[in-house]
Amino acid sequence: MRAVGIEIGGTFTDLVSIGPEGVRVAKVPSTPAAPDAAAFDALAAAGIAPDAMEEFVHGSTVATNAVLERRGARLALLVTEGFRDVLLLGRQDKLQLFNLRYKKPAPLVERADSLDVPERMLADGTAERGFDAEAFAPRLAAFLAAGNYGAVAICLLNAYANPAHEVALADLVRRLAPGLPVTASHEVTQEFREYERASTTALSAYVQPVLDAYLGRMEARLAEGGFTGAFSVMQSNGGRVPATAMRRNAASALLSGPAAGVMGAVRQAGRSGVRDIITLDVGGTSADVALIANGRPELAREARVDGLVVQMPMLDITTVGAGGGSIAWVDEGGMLRVGPRSAGAVPGPACYGRGGTRPTLTDAQVIAGRIPAGKKLAGGLTMDGAAARAAYAPLAAQLGLSVEATAESVIRIAVAHVVAAVRLVSTERGRDPRDHVLVPFGGAGPLLAAAVAEELGMARVLVPPGAGVLSAYGLLAADHSLLAARTRRRTINAGAAAEAMAAIAEMRAELEARFDAHGVTGTRRLDVSLDMRLIGQAFEIAVPLTAEHFDEADLLAAFNAAHERIYRMPVDTRRAVEIVSYRVGLHVTREELPGLAGPPRLTAPVHGPLLIEDSTASLWVPPGWAASEDAAGNLLLTRDA
Amino acid sequence: MISPADQAVIGQALMSTAREMGAKLYRSAFSPIVRDGKDASTGIMDASGAAVAQSDELIPVLVGSLSITLRHCMAACPPERLEEGDFYITNHPYRGAHHLQDILIFMPIFVEQRIIGYAAAVAHHLDIGGGAPGLNSSATDLYGEGLIIPPARWNHRRDWLEGNLRGMIAANIRVPEQTIGDIESQFAACFTGIARVRELCARHGTATVEAAMAGQIAYVERRLRAAIRDLPDGTYIGEDYVDDDGISAEPLLIRATVTIAGDTLAVDFTGTCPQVRTHLNAPYASVVSGTLAALKSFLSGDDVPFNEGAARAVTITVPEGTLLNPRFPAPVRARMEATYRAYDAVLKALGNAIPERAVATGFDSTTSFCLTQLKEGRYRVFIELRDGGYGASSENDGCDAVAGPLSNCTNVPVEAADADYPFFRIEEYRLLPGTGGAGRHRGGNGSLRRYRILEEGVRLAIYCDRFRVAAEGQAGGEAGALGGCRVLRGAAVIEVRSKDDLVLRAGDVIEMWTGGGGGHGPKSERPAALREADARLAGLPSTA
Repeated sequence: MRAVGIEIGGTFTDLVSIGPEGVRVAKVPSTPAAPDAAAFDALAAAGIAPDAMEEFVHGSTVATNAVLERRGARLALLVTEGFRDVLLLGRQDKLQLFNLRYKKPAPLVERADSLDVPERMLADGTAERGFDAEAFAPRLAAFLAAGNYGAVAICLLNAYANPAHEVALADLVRRLAPGLPVTASHEVTQEFREYERASTTALSAYVQPVLDAYLGRMEARLAEGGFTGAFSVMQSNGGRVPATAMRRNAASALLSGPAAGVMGAVRQAGRSGVRDIITLDVGGTSADVALIANGRPELAREARVDGLVVQMPMLDITTVGAGGGSIAWVDEGGMLRVGPRSAGAVPGPACYGRGGTRPTLTDAQVIAGRIPAGKKLAGGLTMDGAAARAAYAPLAAQLGLSVEATAESVIRIAVAHVVAAVRLVSTERGRDPRDHVLVPFGGAGPLLAAAVAEELGMARVLVPPGAGVLSAYGLLAADHSLLAARTRRRTINAGAAAEAMAAIAEMRAELEARFDAHGVTGTRRLDVSLDMRLIGQAFEIAVPLTAEHFDEADLLAAFNAAHERIYRMPVDTRRAVEIVSYRVGLHVTREELPGLAGPPRLTAPVHGPLLIEDSTASLWVPPGWAASEDAAGNLLLTRDA
Repeated sequence: MISPADQAVIGQALMSTAREMGAKLYRSAFSPIVRDGKDASTGIMDASGAAVAQSDELIPVLVGSLSITLRHCMAACPPERLEEGDFYITNHPYRGAHHLQDILIFMPIFVEQRIIGYAAAVAHHLDIGGGAPGLNSSATDLYGEGLIIPPARWNHRRDWLEGNLRGMIAANIRVPEQTIGDIESQFAACFTGIARVRELCARHGTATVEAAMAGQIAYVERRLRAAIRDLPDGTYIGEDYVDDDGISAEPLLIRATVTIAGDTLAVDFTGTCPQVRTHLNAPYASVVSGTLAALKSFLSGDDVPFNEGAARAVTITVPEGTLLNPRFPAPVRARMEATYRAYDAVLKALGNAIPERAVATGFDSTTSFCLTQLKEGRYRVFIELRDGGYGASSENDGCDAVAGPLSNCTNVPVEAADADYPFFRIEEYRLLPGTGGAGRHRGGNGSLRRYRILEEGVRLAIYCDRFRVAAEGQAGGEAGALGGCRVLRGAAVIEVRSKDDLVLRAGDVIEMWTGGGGGHGPKSERPAALREADARLAGLPSTA
């Protein structure tokens, strides 16, 4: 049995292989023009032939990039009559409050490519106005014939409550334009709020042909090499699905980029028995932070890709613009700033010696001795200490500080940015970071981690082995997962629990059927969470349910506990509570997975200040901290008592 | 002297504290105006009452006036008499609040038995009592607008948790469970702020934190003064009008005179029309906020945080007895329209100072649309704030159909209205191409929403603006289209004024549309590619 995970990032493509001979890793430069080429480069570098793999798991940013670069299908949008402008109007809010020249994110569908459909469903699932497919067919046929569309998105009002009209309309499109891909909103998400659902549906329809072609190409090339194993891809929810399923429904591929690393961190920390963690992935331009309680990542309900809303259960990852390439500068008010501008991969930090002259965070790490000058990095780079100091000299002069003190200041400010991101995923959601272990990865995460922990009062940091390729490992560590969300509002009174259990059973059966169709075997685990609120509140809170059978009192007790945790205020129990949506996940976990451990990094406990290096990342142990390696190969940093 | 790193690190921590307080507040709020509209503000103040950090996720209209209110509270009960667990509360528009719906709470932050600052949380509440649910447009004075809470000191445990003040407020308002719940969210936000500042003091030392607070204010002042220095010295005038006072047809003049001298800037509203009998008056604090928001947008955008430093670089003079500084007890509930015109007048004056950076005027109005039904002794209130077009600039077209610049209210999803309100249904929601003023760059377009009334006993109350006075263009650009509202009742059409109130019947159809922003530059100079985009936007297969 050999399983291979390949993660394509902006700069590097990483491979982790687990086979009879143990764990193997490889890192090769990415090939942005044809990203799949780097995947095969990585296989070659690791000496693995496609026919030697039983299992191949892949992660990429192809779907996200298709949106960022607007390279998706020419879309037609079909909406309920009177609401064709749903994507143009959105929620009418602004992403910048004080910008007089504000522009909305460019929508994926032009106004002329949206068509009103005569029908109207109501919130209770009854039709106020029926849909007459035969009567509508001529208009739809003319519209589709005129447009030269590459895909069709359908979002009808209240389809979350009853998709009958969407189903009939999608059938009509397929009949009139055979072969044209159709995505109906109820197939993507069944939550209420029409703009969010329409936006998600349009995004899914937009990237689906791109992803389909990409994965199809990859499948063909794997098949040429004799690959006959299972091919799956990463989703934004932290689970993977068979590639064939993703080729038909691409929504969960959006924003899947950072998910694999989180899953790798969860798995690797779990080997040391650590289940409450905060992950920190510091890359070249940004830092990603996520909170995991009891081994289960928190899920966000929606996120934005290039300003456009994706309403999908996905890993709740917060990103801030603090990465190795972030540029330090002094603004007009004399404030020392770090980012948001970045030197990027090219030219990169000054110390890369590729022509960068601006002082970056990585340069500060070199000056501070956390990255040794002269160190060789993947891709043939050598750290140029003199160039780093030269880049910092003007900034130091401006501040009236030494180059060393300036570099230390910049590191402190970068740490503060990361701390603010950790606050967003922890204290702002009612979680105390001090109850968690910080798990840094990525090339630069382990250098900042102890300082971040120190600021937040966190007592422990766990650094996985192979921190630089943890994302590729995460692909192999990820569950097979299917997640579904559905809005079914219901006040908690007599009969509500029975209704909830029936709704959960129905959603579970649908997911089981999809797993069966995908041929996914293994022990299935069910995750259930209800979005609940006091009647009148608009922000639902996620209430996890662990028991399969429950009554109304159990539901209220679970809600009260979640509410009190988040708002630190007891709930006024006289107020009525309602269920808004159900979130059900079905997972199959890979039972056997060796750890990522390589040769031991430490043979005995050590005390900071100290720099520890392995082949993929550097780790800084500050004064007052001690480090030791455990049986799972993780380094554990603890504050001295 | 504080080090650059301490300043940046603690400054950032104070900002993220204000933001965390804001998130606590709006996520748990009941009032749609807080939860969807983010019509709230949270922040950290220093011991003198100066704002140090305010959440930048919440809406602009409450920036810059927290200090005014807190100082009225400190005058009412000196800080020396405050104890741990005490709080100030007020909603008094003549003591630094905006209108009675906005309740402000300040809690002292004690560190080592000393007050080093205050945590502040303001929220707009759905109902504060008074002569009518939601909005009493017939109020002739402040007393008719609702419960007045004067600045005073109370104790959280004794007066709130154990009930005295809480019960008194609850007894005077129509939807007490919502309003009381939202006040509790404000307290939760303040407690979060207090905890965070104490953590900062424990980590960095109280003196360093206090120095960073002062440094943060000085920083904003420096940024603003640097931007003012780039403007040419001189005196510049901008004018705009509120449609009318809701009774007469007389436009209400707002005049802003901006004087720039070196790195100082003075705004004088002398020449503005006298106060009116209706609730269109804007209290002083609202005018300060609107003016500072205009200056921040024009001078520094989103990059500079907001605090007392902005106010230190600027003097604002508003003659008493005018629309922008009425005498007690003039009603002020609908103060946003006059505040928007003050904002517009200041932007016009700044545009006159430096025409190449001028931006055409936007629709810039609060379009408050409220449907209420009293059924079986219970009020149901649907309220939403709509969009409008932004003004165009020399670089690009104005943004279409977006929340006004002093707010950031989201619309109510049609599916949410369908699920929550059985007495009406939204039948149409569309963009109105062509409503943005023509120009080399066009103004942003408005939108239309159509509602069908399904039951009896429903009342419409609106307060809007720019139904008569359009958003002007710049540099030869044309004005944006007006907004409007009408009721279709069988064959009859009932025109609705921008400030109006009427009883509806089942079967009525209401159309309400927002207007466009002004254009920039002559329309004859509009590039071909943009003309083509206009044609694509307007020329469509339609269902009609």
